[in-house]
Amino acid sequence: MSQDIVKKISSCLGPNIPIESVAQGAEAVVFSTTVHPYHPNAGTDKKYIVKYRPPKRYRHPSIDQALTKRRTLGESRLLSKLYLIEGLNVPKLIACDPYNGCIWLEFLGQELPNGNGFSNLKNFLWMYASKGYNPHDNVVKETLHAVGQQIGLLHWNDYCHGDLTSSNIVLGKVKDGWKAYLIDFGLSSTSNLVEDKGVDLYVLERAIMSTHSSYADDYNAWLLEGFSQVYQSQGSKGETKLKEVLNRFNEVRLRGRKRSMIG
Amino acid sequence: MVNLNTVRPKNGRDYYIALGLEGSANKLGVGVLKHPLLPQHEDGDLSFNCHAEILANVRDTYITPPGEGFLPRDTARHHKNWCIRLIKQALKEASIVNPSLDIDVICFTKGPGMGAPLHSVAIAARTCSLLWEVPLIGVNHCVGHIEMGREITKAVNPVVLYVSGGNTQVIAYSEKRYRIFGETLDIAIGNCLDRFARTLRIPNAPSPGYNIEQLAKRCANKETLLELPYTVKGMDLSMSGILAYIDSLAKDLFRGNKKNKTLFDPKTGEQKVTVEDLCYSLQENLFAMLVEITERAMAHVNSNQVLIVGGVGCNVRLQEMMQMMCEDRANGQVHATDERFCIDNGVMIAQAGLLQYRMGDVVKDLKETVVTQKFRTDEVYVAWRE
Amino acid sequence: MTSYSLPQFPDYKVTVSLFEDVSNAAELRSNVAEIPFALIDARLICSSEQLYSAIYRALVETTYNRMRTKSLHSECLLCLSPSSNIGEAFQTFGIRDDCQVVIGVQILGPKDPGSTQQIRDFVQGTEVECCDENIQKHYNEDTIRKYVNRLLWVIFDNAVFLLTYPCKMQVYKLNQKFRPETMEGLSRALVNAIQLRGL
Repeated sequence: MSQDIVKKISSCLGPNIPIESVAQGAEAVVFSTTVHPYHPNAGTDKKYIVKYRPPKRYRHPSIDQALTKRRTLGESRLLSKLYLIEGLNVPKLIACDPYNGCIWLEFLGQELPNGNGFSNLKNFLWMYASKGYNPHDNVVKETLHAVGQQIGLLHWNDYCHGDLTSSNIVLGKVKDGWKAYLIDFGLSSTSNLVEDKGVDLYVLERAIMSTHSSYADDYNAWLLEGFSQVYQSQGSKGETKLKEVLNRFNEVRLRGRKRSMIG
Repeated sequence: MVNLNTVRPKNGRDYYIALGLEGSANKLGVGVLKHPLLPQHEDGDLSFNCHAEILANVRDTYITPPGEGFLPRDTARHHKNWCIRLIKQALKEASIVNPSLDIDVICFTKGPGMGAPLHSVAIAARTCSLLWEVPLIGVNHCVGHIEMGREITKAVNPVVLYVSGGNTQVIAYSEKRYRIFGETLDIAIGNCLDRFARTLRIPNAPSPGYNIEQLAKRCANKETLLELPYTVKGMDLSMSGILAYIDSLAKDLFRGNKKNKTLFDPKTGEQKVTVEDLCYSLQENLFAMLVEITERAMAHVNSNQVLIVGGVGCNVRLQEMMQMMCEDRANGQVHATDERFCIDNGVMIAQAGLLQYRMGDVVKDLKETVVTQKFRTDEVYVAWRE
Repeated sequence: MTSYSLPQFPDYKVTVSLFEDVSNAAELRSNVAEIPFALIDARLICSSEQLYSAIYRALVETTYNRMRTKSLHSECLLCLSPSSNIGEAFQTFGIRDDCQVVIGVQILGPKDPGSTQQIRDFVQGTEVECCDENIQKHYNEDTIRKYVNRLLWVIFDNAVFLLTYPCKMQVYKLNQKFRPETMEGLSRALVNAIQLRGL
């Protein structure tokens, strides 16, 4: 079945774009390539991400086409807006082909040292939890602060990620530490509801607890510290908003992700 | 490890017998179910394979005239009128002569559902329990659907799409609970179809959803689709907007409102859309949303099996779409049941109740048998699974 | 001169040339309909990426959706523009009488005969390499203010900003205070606008 999707995307990209599968979700498949879609002098050492939404056979073709186009565009628009937020690190949008459901993005991250895999937060935390590393290293703390700040910045600007997990956070090596990037905005939206922000934080907390359970308490505390810093830097208005978000986060934590509903 | 034989059958028998009473909506169902006592159940996660034998499965549906829905009061009256007769009929079919000796447990729906009908069935259950001195078990309706579906299809750990008149949920098992991954934010899918059927004034027998399905099949122009809102929000969905929109279209169609450009050609005034087209478009749109959230949940929990339960689960088109989705996933499998088990019935209550009973969970005080209209699937502690 | 094919559209051959000290801009402009190239006023282009991005978008639109203008060359001009108004796009990005730096773009499709006409046969000027450095030499805010009567807006969802650099970008209706600090930042915003315009 995966072969089928590769065939489909190859037929719209043509034979000149070699692709390598990176990840597959319910809705989209992510490939990497070394070919820039339109810049002839982009250099050969760079990599790009192609996010492809394959057509779904079960949907009526007219629903499928409309949805693919709408979602591809929606995600691209959101990315381009997020890119304008100062201090927020998201991948650059390179091209958008809504008719085929392709988005081209810059490739972020690299290989971690000593064969510890790709530099997303998940592998990074696993690396530091493994033998020879210290899980409470200052680097871990600073990195998680940076991640928390990214999420804080996102929420402060009234956007919600919708699917925060440790594999949707990518780290890039900078001089004396790691820079955090948020990726995969397929389920994201603009929202000023405290509920959505609380759920976002809860989803991340659960993800950290399930994949990095031994040190989850410290990790989550550090993430929240970073998150709070962003709000606190905005003065008393920020403090009030922070309190609202954290209170709701606690409520969500008590009842689980779902609202209890009437009827 | 789970020991399903924690509580032994009564009177040294080598099998369990449960009576199930269901009446959370307009269907009144009574079922008698038999589980053999099997040694392998003492140590293993085998709750999907109880070798259940259905001794009786009788049902009576309260049907209203076209254009009308069922009201709680009238439905409760219907249930009260029929409950004794159905229980007697079920016991006769199951050849149970002496209920106090032969029945291990009486299971009834505790919720969710409409208050008055639930209550009338609960009264019948309490009465039987006191009369025959048989223990009682209150069962969550949704868990009943899930357990019956698993028993019939032998699906070990599926993602469950539960679609009925009152519920629309995507459920997966995790850590002793059936967790809800996605659900409707407003009305249920069956409710949406029923209400649209009322607007169309099509018969409510055998069920409004079935009649919409038949109309949709007769749609002559399947190439073009009316554009309806597509409202999936993450793993949740919303349907009230779709209903309001298609309702207004149907009303304009009946009134012959030529100003509506979607329905009538603005120049010639010719009718472009038929009732069949409306039904077809509505089904395609709603089911695409359901299949999508199911697929998301499957990706989320890394499962490759889907089980469709609930009244709307009988819809062949929904099953077909789910099948296509699963074919495109690695080793995907769809499990669906037919109308005997999809539509509310007493056997499923007996199945879930008997599992609960075998794990040693019984009602100790009649106070615990109070029914509840709101009863979330994830409130139930699933002791019988690993 | 840069000749290349886009990987996704190998059947199309694209040639991009940048000319400085152009002396016959007025003549070119009056014959623009007969010249088989897209002629762009280079003073309005801030990076090569902006240009290439528009060419890509033009090919995507013609291949998968529809062509809004008569030729691929005019489609390129339209794709550079922040609005969907064809006339405005030509006026803004098209060549002007006093223009001394010109970018010529030629796109040959699979059905077009291999053209023998060279852009050099039309444009009188010095050809230089079409790279960021050369393009940005001529990108000038004052020129933009002078020549674009209607202020040029990049309409970018709820963000409306003036296409100028450095740092005089006026931001309206934008809740985030966005001011591209670098040419790169401006180029990104423009590429995004090109990729998402009118969709």
